[in-house]
Amino acid sequence: MLFWQILIAGFAISSLYALGATGFTLIFGVTGVLNLSHGAIMVAAAVAAWAASESLGVGSYLGAVFGILTGLLLSLATYFLVVGRLQKSRKIREEEKEIFILTATLLWGIMIQEAIAYLYTNNAKTVAPIVEGVVSILGVRTPANEVFTAVVCWLSIGALWYFVNGTRAGKAVLAASMNPRGVTLLGIELSSVYFAAWAIYGVLAGIAGVLLGMFFGVSSYSAGPLTASAFSIVVLGGLGSVYGTLIAAYVVGYLETLTAYLVSPAYRTIPALLLLVVVMYVRPRGLLGRR
Amino acid sequence: MLRRILLFPPVWISLIVVVAASTLPLYVSGYILGLLTIAYYFGVFSMAWDLLFGFANEVNFGPTFLIGLGAYTAGILDNLYQPPIFVCVAAGAFAAVTGGVALALPALRMRGPYFGLMTLVAVLMLQNFVVVAAELTGGEIGLTVPDVISIDDKVNYWIALGFMTFSGAVLYGLSRSPVGLILQASGQDAVQAGALGFNLTKHKLAAFIVSAFFSGLAGALMVFYLGAASVGTFIDVTVGVQVIIGAVIGGRRTILGAAIGAVFLIAMGEALRPLGDLATFIVSGMALFVVLAFPGGLLGMVKGAREAT
Amino acid sequence: MTRNKRVTLRAAGMLGASSIAAALAAGSFAWAQDQGPIKIGVIAEAQAVGSSIPLAAQLAADEINANGGVDGRKIEIVSYDNHSSSAESVRAFQRLVNEDHVDVVMASYITEVVLALEPWSARLKTVLVTPAAASDAVTANIAKDYERNKYTFQGYVISSALSQLVCDAAKDMLVDGLKMKTAVIMSEDAAWTTPLDAGYAECLPKIGLNVLDHIRFSPDTTDFTPIFNRIEGERPDVIITGLSHVGLQPTVQWKSQQVPIPMFGVSGQANNSTFWKDTNGAADGVLYQAVSGPDVAVTPKTLPFVEAFQKRFGNALSWCGYTAYDDVYVIADAIHRAGSTDSDKLVAALEKTDYVGTIGRIQFLPQGDPHVHGLKTGAGFITGLLLQWQNGKQINLWPPDLAKGKLTFPPFVKIGAAGN
Repeated sequence: MLFWQILIAGFAISSLYALGATGFTLIFGVTGVLNLSHGAIMVAAAVAAWAASESLGVGSYLGAVFGILTGLLLSLATYFLVVGRLQKSRKIREEEKEIFILTATLLWGIMIQEAIAYLYTNNAKTVAPIVEGVVSILGVRTPANEVFTAVVCWLSIGALWYFVNGTRAGKAVLAASMNPRGVTLLGIELSSVYFAAWAIYGVLAGIAGVLLGMFFGVSSYSAGPLTASAFSIVVLGGLGSVYGTLIAAYVVGYLETLTAYLVSPAYRTIPALLLLVVVMYVRPRGLLGRR
Repeated sequence: MLRRILLFPPVWISLIVVVAASTLPLYVSGYILGLLTIAYYFGVFSMAWDLLFGFANEVNFGPTFLIGLGAYTAGILDNLYQPPIFVCVAAGAFAAVTGGVALALPALRMRGPYFGLMTLVAVLMLQNFVVVAAELTGGEIGLTVPDVISIDDKVNYWIALGFMTFSGAVLYGLSRSPVGLILQASGQDAVQAGALGFNLTKHKLAAFIVSAFFSGLAGALMVFYLGAASVGTFIDVTVGVQVIIGAVIGGRRTILGAAIGAVFLIAMGEALRPLGDLATFIVSGMALFVVLAFPGGLLGMVKGAREAT
Repeated sequence: MTRNKRVTLRAAGMLGASSIAAALAAGSFAWAQDQGPIKIGVIAEAQAVGSSIPLAAQLAADEINANGGVDGRKIEIVSYDNHSSSAESVRAFQRLVNEDHVDVVMASYITEVVLALEPWSARLKTVLVTPAAASDAVTANIAKDYERNKYTFQGYVISSALSQLVCDAAKDMLVDGLKMKTAVIMSEDAAWTTPLDAGYAECLPKIGLNVLDHIRFSPDTTDFTPIFNRIEGERPDVIITGLSHVGLQPTVQWKSQQVPIPMFGVSGQANNSTFWKDTNGAADGVLYQAVSGPDVAVTPKTLPFVEAFQKRFGNALSWCGYTAYDDVYVIADAIHRAGSTDSDKLVAALEKTDYVGTIGRIQFLPQGDPHVHGLKTGAGFITGLLLQWQNGKQINLWPPDLAKGKLTFPPFVKIGAAGN
């Protein structure tokens, strides 16, 4: 019985981690940017969904759409206002750009976080769930919302896979992650590839944020830990590798769930962090990392 | 030789500023003194960071790992055994150096973003540890220490100012010394520096140790100024960001710029305090603007202006 | 309560409040005239539950000022947000005393914050009153070193007393009323719950509830599924809670997971009038202890205060607001009786406080008591209430003479033979 509980609870949370981390790794893989405002964008999407369904009175579906749109807009804003400008800047030497981008995205994330806290307070909020009630899976009483979360995560990841492998635009994005110069030689504008990447990222982060808001609830304080969790997973899996990220998300998700159930909820984040430290010492590239 | 040092513009300008600053307690309110005291400690944090970044070209995203180790070790020690304050402070500095070495050894082997990531992971681990071991550390909300160095604003101010001046002198001196030049060279072009026969890793490790020592020492001293320590003041990533931003907007690789930037940031943050949460938003916005528009930082702007004329 | 009775009570309350205010104003003017306003510093969490503290304090100050102030002097509130951080609170305290020159400081609902400020209150010899922090540690420190720490006063029911009040209510409602036999204690791991849980562990068996397990979780927990699953596996009749920093997430997940066991105990956030909305209705059935509740006239002053607060500030009134409001009156009264704002004289005057506030009759325990400078609790003083969220409303169920409804539970909660 406990076994099934762990299996099911772990699956839902891992799927959520996977979705969040996939977006993060996509951006790094394609544009080389470690977006440290990741958690803030997810929280903003969740809060927007909550605000829409609460204050504007639209239902939970529309609220969710509103949240995802917010994720998309913020992501594009991150690209145009912050990252893009630094990438094109002539005042900074190439080797230093990464550092500046990291610092700038970190600052940008803090700005978003504080804006949320200012407008909506930093109390936790739960987004009105689209699906309610419980279902029984293998004898385990599971909130239907959890099932919904896992399903939506995998549909999104599946859609991404289809896009990258099945459509022309997607293939260009994939190619850019392997060889940016090669892509320009083919006559494809790198800036449109970047635009596509950030747009997809925004949608993914938006969906992940809204689902998180429905499942656990978020507050402006969640932004930092979310970013941290996403890049721990991404580093574990290997920067830039989507498959690695997916695997790592499940490893981390299950490690946390196992710890919470078998040891104590208070220590749930410890094993994953220890694993990260070990990996950094022993195999810094991560499981399937390339760069 | 001494004459040459004293005539060097940054040196005598700094000396004038320090002397002027030390007279502040005579006519400025206790509140401003308290603010500047914190700002001076942050100045040391930023200068220590700049030594590592500016010269070893290693972005340490977790300066608060070192600061936090220093602060909490000193604080916990005081809580448990109440030894004299200087023992706690020394223990804090030692803990920071040890932690720094433990972090640096694997981290320096990595290139690119991995070093930065490792440092960020270190901060997370420390943060988690503090929260989980709440009985020992006071957890998320904080730790109270029974002793403070002094309750007099003026005394605390002078201690902080003196400490910052001393640290600044040492760090600046290091940055201008042969060791510093090697580090700078390795930062600009690691391959060539290596080809010239310099053992980069050894020098970077030395830089790390110095950075850790001053960070931890400053952190420990600050705990005994506040009488309290919390994750939000010493460990949280946002604190680390403040340290880094201070150095970046002051002008990286200048050491002195870092102190200026840190003081500027703290002063701004406090001046905007009445705005509540909007204050952090505005300060971050200003810092972001400086990063985007003036990568050379405040001091860089000054230098640029002087060179242009 | 009939409309006439309510109107009469309200009139009595206003009469009471204004007569105290008038008495304050009518006091001797000898020292008052040209000394400028009395400044009360307030350090609180502008977000969270603590936001009611500065607002309620301001309301009290304005009322007192409208009635002539304290012996002619007006009260001025100077307030700072501490972002739930002890270190920031310390800085705010230093600023209030050294720069703003306040006479008294009121601070926070977070025990850790108050514990960080207690030594500063001693060092800077400034009276510190906390309207809402609960841990016994605060008063224990005063008892340990009275001469140094006597400047601190705890204006809220301390944790060990809170647990006793919860047990008193549980005995009537759960053991006698529903024949419950077993319980699991579930608390956040924070300073204020350590004495609370110890109190629970002692008093629950005494009323007939066997404690099966005791779970303490980190205050930054977001996923409560494993905790609820574990509790369900143990099949207790009730979950006895100690929650303050968290409240929204466990409640939402309790409902979403349809945990068949009711929650009863201390849940700070459940007292917020916006809790129903924040949890999207998951609060239905949650039972929580409070010293105040909407529409419950604990004293003639309670309802007029609630009305005045809601009229002026909207619905943001949390449990800290009641005590903050009372504490400003208590401080003003003490200043009036002492004839001065000198800290030592204030301490002596505060110790002689006997004031009927919105939560009951306020007296501080004297020197010599192990909980010196804490609130006196029990019949005739402060007894607390036990409320339940039902259909969007907070209904008081205990003590019986103030009860307004009956105990009901949402359909997924199974009383008696708990569990799947």
